[in-house]
Amino acid sequence: MAQNITRRKFLGWMLASSGLALWSAACSGAPALPLSATRRPAPAPAAGQAYLAVAHSEDAAAATRAAIAALGGMERFVKPGDDVIIKPNICTDYHPPEYATTTNPFVVATLVTTCLEAGARRVRVMDTPFGGTPETAYAISGIADATRAAKGEMEVMSPLKFVMTSIPQGKDITQWEVYRDILEADVLINVPIAKHHSLARLSLGCKNLLGVVRQPNRMHRNLGQRLADLASLIRPSLTVVDAMRILVANGPTGGSLNDVRQTNTVIASHDMVAADAYAATLFGLRGADIAYVKLSAEMGLGTLDLDTIKIEEIHA
Amino acid sequence: MRKANMWQIGRWLRQISQALFFLLFVYLLFAALQRREAFPLADLFFRFDPLSALGAMLASREWLPRLALAWATVGITLLLGRVWCGWICPLGTLLDWLGPGATRRRTQSVAPRWRSAKYLLLAAILSAATLGSLMLLVLDPLALFTRTMTTVILPALNYAVTAVLGGLYPIAPLRGVLDALEGWLRGSALPVRQPLFAGNWLIAGVFVFLLLLNRLASRFWCRYLCPLGALLALLSRVSLLRPLIGAGCVQCGRCSNICPVGAIQVEEDFRIVPSECVACLDCFAACPERGIGWRPVALRSVAVAAKGLAWPAAAEAYDPSRRQVLAALGGGIAGVVVMRTHPLAHAPEPTLIRPPGAQDEAAFLARCLRCSQCMKVCPTSGLQPAFLEGGPEALWTPHLVPRLGYCNYGCNACGQICPSGAIPALDLARKRQAVLGRASIDRDRCLPWAHGVACIVCEEMCPVAPKAIRLEEVSVADDLGQMVRVQRPYVLSDVCIGCGICEYQCPVEGAAAIRVFRTNA
Repeated sequence: MAQNITRRKFLGWMLASSGLALWSAACSGAPALPLSATRRPAPAPAAGQAYLAVAHSEDAAAATRAAIAALGGMERFVKPGDDVIIKPNICTDYHPPEYATTTNPFVVATLVTTCLEAGARRVRVMDTPFGGTPETAYAISGIADATRAAKGEMEVMSPLKFVMTSIPQGKDITQWEVYRDILEADVLINVPIAKHHSLARLSLGCKNLLGVVRQPNRMHRNLGQRLADLASLIRPSLTVVDAMRILVANGPTGGSLNDVRQTNTVIASHDMVAADAYAATLFGLRGADIAYVKLSAEMGLGTLDLDTIKIEEIHA
Repeated sequence: MRKANMWQIGRWLRQISQALFFLLFVYLLFAALQRREAFPLADLFFRFDPLSALGAMLASREWLPRLALAWATVGITLLLGRVWCGWICPLGTLLDWLGPGATRRRTQSVAPRWRSAKYLLLAAILSAATLGSLMLLVLDPLALFTRTMTTVILPALNYAVTAVLGGLYPIAPLRGVLDALEGWLRGSALPVRQPLFAGNWLIAGVFVFLLLLNRLASRFWCRYLCPLGALLALLSRVSLLRPLIGAGCVQCGRCSNICPVGAIQVEEDFRIVPSECVACLDCFAACPERGIGWRPVALRSVAVAAKGLAWPAAAEAYDPSRRQVLAALGGGIAGVVVMRTHPLAHAPEPTLIRPPGAQDEAAFLARCLRCSQCMKVCPTSGLQPAFLEGGPEALWTPHLVPRLGYCNYGCNACGQICPSGAIPALDLARKRQAVLGRASIDRDRCLPWAHGVACIVCEEMCPVAPKAIRLEEVSVADDLGQMVRVQRPYVLSDVCIGCGICEYQCPVEGAAAIRVFRTNA
């Protein structure tokens, strides 16, 4: 029984715990860290490697493998011992993958496998759903099962790990709260699903980065420039656009199979702008039609001129 | 000193039972915390609660099969008395643990006549229930404890743990441990987003008051106030086995000193009052003569009846009088009448949005146990305890406050966990069609409407396919007077289901520019 708590002991504990509380309060009010991505830059293609790969197949895993192979294999991006984060689009827990609202789980799992084959120390998969909780969204999307089967880890993004980060190149926003691990990972692979979005027109790679920041809705004011600013900070090592199924209307939440097109395509590039520009063509648009793609290109983050780059198209 | 008698083992078993049931209670709280799939037995305690069952069945005039396990509690009470109170009830256990130590029990004095309060409360609950009102079930011990855990203790715990972890996080050497801890707890035991509950201060206040009363007398709540305890006390008067002090009694008084509920009448030759005894076995173990044991009641013999084996048990001096009972019954009725003449009972606040499928207000109020489990399971914490939005009768019933959390399109957990069916257990396809309310846009606050600023967040978030919020592209003057092209949202009322994610996500500061209001169902 706890009968022997003396007043002295009690006061001691109170003093210690209030000290801890004060100190933790002081820490949590720390000023914005001048953090920026410490990641090594996405490697430019060597001779014989495609700048942008487009793979077609009914098999998502085969298409993903073929696209990565055309870029020179995952070894180009992942070095032995690397800490890798894969960022799919897991926006809600409403619908299974057939509805084309969340990234194809086999595309994600194949990336997990190829990263581990290239010697990655660990591969984590994460997103912040806006509808439902992460656990259920991870499960309904099929990505949790596929990732675990491929020996990757699902991470629920912790509220502790968002840090106010300055955005040196930002034109509209100069700082935002970003998930620390996204900035610090050795390799970040951005895996959007290509789908309709009323304001941005399309949700592609750059739009997918909204899932790693706090208060994404505040981004919608001047969305195009703000997304480009964010892209200048986050700089994924590799972007793989899942266009196995695309959602052509009622995005990003979907819910009707009538809005889904089976396009059996995976697009991959170290250049997120080029990957987005190519993905736009599947919807009958050009990269320049999408504000964030155009503005990202203007900031020098990539190219939207698909005629000047080496594109390798594969039928796997 | 004599060696501890064999009832010491029984007493230990009781303590183990209390600890296990308490742990089970806490485990079930966490097992169904903000989950889309409600854990099937998460409402287990409520299924064994005869007060909730009786109240809800009286009020709804319906047999509620899910609450039928309450017969088990009735059965064990008819056999052994208030075993529920002494061995199972998690609130009773907590009060035991927080109560004054055994040595101080003797000095407490509250007039015995207050024991009748619980019976009067029970009478008022049951008479109100006959009119379809369950407002006083807010005082059911399980509901009271669950509500406090849901809206006060668990959110505070999450806040505290997150604050401490967040404070430690900047210390680099600790990050590995903290990451592992976060990976383990976050999303399962600790919610990703801090739950916030309106009115938590009042719910906390009631609970703190209860704990303070416990300083006046150990298990003050159980002795004087608990309406479930009162119901079980009535049943205990006809229980078949009674604890009885045997003939070898040396009148040492150890039993009456140790009894946590003051059930042993020293003045009456150490008689144990069956309706107050919670069968904790403390006195059994304390008796130096090993003289206390269970005895079957005497259905015929008058000789032993005087020693406490009369069946049914004799009335106690502090039992409520017939007049008091009638007053309590009438009070329950009068209370309902007064509550029903409150304006909000006729026209609730337009923001009183009931959980999916619970739009028939009278039917809902006649079934809702006020247990708050729906608020606990709700993954967005959008379900909140009502204060006066639906009138006083609807105190602490669940309603959706979209600015705090939306009704998740992928979730039907509240209907699964509701023990009484007040929120119907709809499958996901049917729940998605349940209309909670309708959204409408405040054009004076909406960014595109009022300021010509691009924003389509409500349309983006709308989960209905095709969307209930549509966009119209127009040329309008912005705040600088320049003509700009913007998409303006509008709501298709007949398609809107009132889930409230538009209101939740609306980026306008303060009150949202799109709000959900109750429909006149």
